[in-house]
Amino acid sequence: MPETNSNTENFPPSENSGVWLVKIITGPFLIILLLIHFIVNHFIGQNGLLSYTDVINYYKNPIIPIMEILFLVTVIFHSSFGIRGIILDLRPTREMMKIIDIFLIVTSVTAIVYGTWLVITIASIR
Amino acid sequence: MSKTNTNQPSPKNILSWFNPIGKQTGGLAFILNRVTAIGLTLYLYVHLIVLGQLANGPEAYDGFVSLMNHPIIIFGELLIVAAGIMHGLNGVRIILTTFGIGVTHQKLQFYILMGIALIVILIFAVRMFNA
Repeated sequence: MPETNSNTENFPPSENSGVWLVKIITGPFLIILLLIHFIVNHFIGQNGLLSYTDVINYYKNPIIPIMEILFLVTVIFHSSFGIRGIILDLRPTREMMKIIDIFLIVTSVTAIVYGTWLVITIASIR
Repeated sequence: MSKTNTNQPSPKNILSWFNPIGKQTGGLAFILNRVTAIGLTLYLYVHLIVLGQLANGPEAYDGFVSLMNHPIIIFGELLIVAAGIMHGLNGVRIILTTFGIGVTHQKLQFYILMGIALIVILIFAVRMFNA
């Protein structure tokens, strides 16, 4: 009877359904948030883009910083998992995938922390 | 002796992923989704960095915004808007077909959604270049 190899280390890395679900759920939210973002930045400004004063006034509404942070977190998750999915198609080894995962986690956390700091800084300006 | 499955993606074939020649609508949609995804991700991180100008006060930020009114930059921004809209609507098609909605009409879904994308992009183009 042939021996069965149950060692999962021999299987290439793959995307689990949880990650896929995050992409599917964040996608529609991003469509709405991105459309709001595009309309605010390209239709509301007098000269096509918001000036510094426009941005500060926009952020005085307390809903806006919350929406922007939500947008940031959603887009970082969606893009990181999406890029990870593209990289998985290159069939990296498990060891290489671990390095890539660490890189994606570090850049994602850095982006979220930096972006949140920036939103709070702008919202605090009077 | 079993044959090795050679029909697997490989880094050696990566450029063929983005070659539209000979591909059907589904393949083109795949390329579009991936190219826009990569472009938007790169822009996202650049965008976060340049928005740091807001923390440097009105002179720094407004000076930066005046640079952004150059036609070439506006065209670049329009490409980002186009990428976002196309990627988003293509994603809607993927969600619908993943849940079994309109599976036999994927091509029609794609053409309708890209038609909507084109209209929205044109509206943004008119606004951005006339501002």
